[in-house]
Amino acid sequence: MSRGRISGRVLEGIESIGGAALAIAREAGGMVLLLGKVIRALFPPSMDARELVRNLHKMGNRSVPIVVLTAFFAGALMVLQSAPFVQRLGATGLAGWAAGYAVLREIGPILIALMFSGRVGANNTAELGTMTVTEQLDGLRALSIDPIKYLVVPRVIAMMVMLVALTAIGDLVALLGASLIAKIVLGIEYSTMYHSFADNLSPHDFLQGIYKSLVFGGAIAVSSCYFGVSVKGGAVGVGRAVNAAVVAAAVSIMLLDFFLTYMNI
Amino acid sequence: MKLARYTGPIERLGESVLAYVRATVELIGLFFSTMAGVVRGGRPRGEVVHQMYVIGNRSLIFVAVTLGFIGMVMIYQACLQFTKVTGDFSQVGVQFIRLIVSDFAPTLCGMMLATRVGAGIAAEIGSMKVTEQVDALRMSGVLPVDYLIVPRFLASVVMTVVLSVVGGAIMWIAGGLTAQYSFHVNPALFYDMSLVRPIHLAMGLVKALSYGMAIPVVSGFCGLRAKGSSEGVGWATTSAVIGSSFAVIVLDFFWSMLGFLFFGASL
Repeated sequence: MSRGRISGRVLEGIESIGGAALAIAREAGGMVLLLGKVIRALFPPSMDARELVRNLHKMGNRSVPIVVLTAFFAGALMVLQSAPFVQRLGATGLAGWAAGYAVLREIGPILIALMFSGRVGANNTAELGTMTVTEQLDGLRALSIDPIKYLVVPRVIAMMVMLVALTAIGDLVALLGASLIAKIVLGIEYSTMYHSFADNLSPHDFLQGIYKSLVFGGAIAVSSCYFGVSVKGGAVGVGRAVNAAVVAAAVSIMLLDFFLTYMNI
Repeated sequence: MKLARYTGPIERLGESVLAYVRATVELIGLFFSTMAGVVRGGRPRGEVVHQMYVIGNRSLIFVAVTLGFIGMVMIYQACLQFTKVTGDFSQVGVQFIRLIVSDFAPTLCGMMLATRVGAGIAAEIGSMKVTEQVDALRMSGVLPVDYLIVPRFLASVVMTVVLSVVGGAIMWIAGGLTAQYSFHVNPALFYDMSLVRPIHLAMGLVKALSYGMAIPVVSGFCGLRAKGSSEGVGWATTSAVIGSSFAVIVLDFFWSMLGFLFFGASL
């Protein structure tokens, strides 16, 4: 009797592991298929220009405040973390190097991408999900309008373009935030910080962050659109889809960051 | 008949500022009523344990994967810089564990939990709100704060600390493996905890506790404000992710600033 119960538990455990693995595989596969469809729709390039401009505005311009705030704090935090080290060694010239390098290459693109995923990606999943549960996508199909071309492709392009632009703005704000906090907390002059940035950072550091943000933008776009168009079951389903989309975006940001760093593009 | 009123840019700015101020005041009110609910008790039996499972155990793989990869990336970038400058890797491991304990582990774990747990709480409570289950609770004389937010609050406070410890350990090990295999750093040199002092542990603990408190309150607040149907739930989930991630960043800044001002170079 007890043996049967134990083996039942073990079976249940194995089943749940297998089920989780299958679900992850299904979602990853669905995203790759969607990416394939998006790339296929780009040849020949045909998309709704008005939808593209609307999305560029909504996703880019309206995210500027949150990105600027995040970037400012990110820059400030990098200085605060290196502050004890800098003060103990008196190496004020190195403060800008440490903060700038960390911000441009890693912290800037990652934090801005996470905030972008939360604001734009989640919103996009909610919007597409609402359209899906109210059967608007089927309506488009009935009018022989391809929802991929009409809805998904403009969003993917808008997110990639706008995340790059926002990361460039965010990098600048983060460096300014770093200089401001360095002045307030450590008493380092702005000119010292400027020279520390200018002497130790190369365009390559900035560009690596930019390449990363282009890829992150694509990952956020594909995951948010995939979970948006595959929503099932009303308001509860939309909430669940948004949750799944932000989780998938965060995991893919971290994984892609690792591979991009390792390949050292 | 109501005439459409012209609103200039200044009026619109003022309106959005007022809306933010009002939301902040309501959020602080919700925090205090949650604290009162914790003292008052009266939450459903076994709900805290259930929420601990949902918030903690089910986030474990997510936190482990993301923090492990970011630990590898950080060590890779740091070693790359040290190769260019001095080629001396003796400081990488000691400084890394100091930063993990005092900042990286709680903050990165907090960011990840803000994404996963924050969205989850807001989606769940938001769906209950738009299907009028929250009103039903209120009608049967149960306070929604006691029933919905307090168990998540308690579970999240405990589980954020636990996951920060686990995530930090995984980050450290992953970073050490990267240093060992990509840059041939001696593991005995890397896994050196001699620079970690009780003050770093206290900083990390305070940060993890404050994130654990902020995330469920902010996202529960967003969930309870959901209106309409599926669109409202989506909107609530979005603002929960943004709000709780931003709360983590601001709290990190606050505690780091406070720590540096009080302890300065000895930190």
